[in-house]
Amino acid sequence: MMLFSRVRGLPVLTPGDADRVGVVRALTVDAASGEVTHVRIRRGRLRREAVVAWSALGAVGPDMLIARPAGRPGEAPPHRDLVGSRVLTECGEERGTVLDAAFDPATARIEAVLTTLGELPAGRLLGLGDHALVIRTGHGHPG
Amino acid sequence: MNGLTAVRSLTTLPVVTLGGDAVAHVKDTVFDPAAGRIASFTLTGRTLMSGPLPQDLPWPAVHCLGRHAVMVRDEGALCDLPLSVARRDALRGRLLGAQVLTDDGDLVGTVLDVLVEGGTSGRLVAFRLAAHRELVHGSRHRRHQVYVPRGEVLSVSGRTLVIPAHATTYVTDGLPAFVARAGAHHDRGRGAVR
Repeated sequence: MMLFSRVRGLPVLTPGDADRVGVVRALTVDAASGEVTHVRIRRGRLRREAVVAWSALGAVGPDMLIARPAGRPGEAPPHRDLVGSRVLTECGEERGTVLDAAFDPATARIEAVLTTLGELPAGRLLGLGDHALVIRTGHGHPG
Repeated sequence: MNGLTAVRSLTTLPVVTLGGDAVAHVKDTVFDPAAGRIASFTLTGRTLMSGPLPQDLPWPAVHCLGRHAVMVRDEGALCDLPLSVARRDALRGRLLGAQVLTDDGDLVGTVLDVLVEGGTSGRLVAFRLAAHRELVHGSRHRRHQVYVPRGEVLSVSGRTLVIPAHATTYVTDGLPAFVARAGAHHDRGRGAVR
């Protein structure tokens, strides 16, 4: 289990020669499937951001990621930051803001989303857009 | 019963898809007074300077009406509409500012706001009125605002609404008191707020 907040800022190294590519800027998620799909890597002030599919990562450790960036941002789905987004139920009621999310690095599946109002199971995620993370209305959670 | 929402508070509410994207903002709420429910929403663009959209959001395309957003399944819920038609419908379906009479012919007041049921209902529940002197006695210098249930029959003639006379017996000053009284009104069976 890894937290988004722990992955952010981790160095990304190339396989073999262990050259430093950059640091993890953000994780792109597909909220409907509840998976991390891409890693966005900051390569420096003057170089464009690199995007690597999570499935193309060589290894994921607690202190670094091994990857060889090949893709360009245009080839990846549009990025929305999960952390910091407002949470909205499918009934149009706000439910706080996302603080962090936990996921399994082996399967890339999101296990839980931590919000200012508590923890949400990944099964309740519906979609993440430019306005909010939309969640299903859970049983015992009116609105 | 879903929560009650004041229609004035719906203006500027974002229209959000289940994918989390805001596709428009609510400009006006258009009623079908005869049916006693919301007919559609007119829309504006998402940015501060964007004007009205040539699209509206018909009530059947609304997934859910909440306190913080109008939820739609996707962007396809918005219907293309010539602006002239949108303006005509908006004028016809506007209840704010309309005069309210009882079916006995007594003037009750002028509509300041409309309370609707949220969720998937969109039902018109009550009016917030600037009460006429004959309805609420007191100082002429103090404008009384009261809540009146719409009753089971609501007829419309131009900019005038006609409600059943017995609905005025449930007049209250505040929203919490109104919700309690509306429950009593509901229990009257045929006189219920439907």
